Amino acid sequence: MAAGSAAVLARALEALDVGGAADKITLIPQDFFAELCEQIIQHLNHKIPGVNTAELCERIQTSGIEINVGDLAKIANIVSFLFSTAARSNLSTEELVTALGNTVSVLPKHAVQVIRHVWNEQGKSISVSEDARNTATVGQFVDIKWKLGVAMSSDTCRSLKYPYVTVTLKVADPSGQITDKSFEMTVPQFKNFFRQFKEMAAVLETV
Amino acid sequence: MAAPEQPPQPPPPEGSKPLSALLGGIAQVAYYGNADITEELLRGQLYPEAAPEEFRALRAKMGGLLQSIASADMDLNQLEAFLTAQTKKQGGITSDQAAVIAKFWKNHRIKIRESLINQSRWDNVLKNMNWRVDLKSQSRHKDQINTPVAIVEMELGKNGQESEFLCLEFDEAKVSQMLKKLSEIEESMSLLTQTT
Repeated sequence: MAAGSAAVLARALEALDVGGAADKITLIPQDFFAELCEQIIQHLNHKIPGVNTAELCERIQTSGIEINVGDLAKIANIVSFLFSTAARSNLSTEELVTALGNTVSVLPKHAVQVIRHVWNEQGKSISVSEDARNTATVGQFVDIKWKLGVAMSSDTCRSLKYPYVTVTLKVADPSGQITDKSFEMTVPQFKNFFRQFKEMAAVLETV
Repeated sequence: MAAPEQPPQPPPPEGSKPLSALLGGIAQVAYYGNADITEELLRGQLYPEAAPEEFRALRAKMGGLLQSIASADMDLNQLEAFLTAQTKKQGGITSDQAAVIAKFWKNHRIKIRESLINQSRWDNVLKNMNWRVDLKSQSRHKDQINTPVAIVEMELGKNGQESEFLCLEFDEAKVSQMLKKLSEIEESMSLLTQTT
């Protein structure tokens, strides 16, 4: 079983082209890579709603490393897949490292060290159940930012004068990536939005 | 009217019905997005005895007046002053026509204004929102069993474009967090409407 699972993991890693991502992984300093892996495993353990790749990427860039958000997101996905597959197959630390080593000889030593350490410390507490697939399409609400404005006039109307609120929702999608979704509401639309959430609160209380 | 040539202005008081309908037709095209209402259609239906050039002039004049009124979002006082001035002008309108226009604006102001507002909204808007409350009966997190969660589906998109459906989960704490922020928005909004 164990050998079979490690082989499955190895094949999956090949398909994901972990080898291709390896040179990007090499760019990331060890402590940043460790932070990324920590966030990923905490997300898988439901301690945090998602991995803030954009924020982490900014900090890595500030330290002088040239990497973009897209690359970092790809790496995050690969590591996340690695950990969740290993969890599902109940791999031990040694089995995980062996599977990694067989597939990806080009992964930098420090990266393997980090993966080994993080898995050793927190890998066992990941429990993956079947309903994971059912909740796959639902994201998690993380935070909301807002701004209130008044549209004064436009090319078709000199005297618009209507207030509207622009809202940005920070959401964690099922894979753990945190993204922003923005939209506008006029006053009546906002009032309706507010009313719906009040109703939601009332129902949640009574259930 | 026996005379084959219509005078430049359609003067008879019975003209109030066609004029009102003409304004409706103009609004359909300019504000309600109904491109099927052509000039020919309007002329044939409402002013069949008018010559095409005369009708075009009438339509242009009425369209221009409605545009000015809508663009300034005139209230009753402004409207009265504006229309009175138009009746005193050379080549302006009659007081009967002014009355028809005033009645039309009173009836259609809100709808036309809404249309103008929509025409200026180019970013994502919240088109629709649905929600339900589920009881989580199994979960990866043991302490989440039998907790109610709200599943909210929001339809977002730009006007006239395909929507994106955003599906989010909110537990009681997250709903509280949301309500707190929404209260802030409401407070700001009421301050705003107090000062305008």
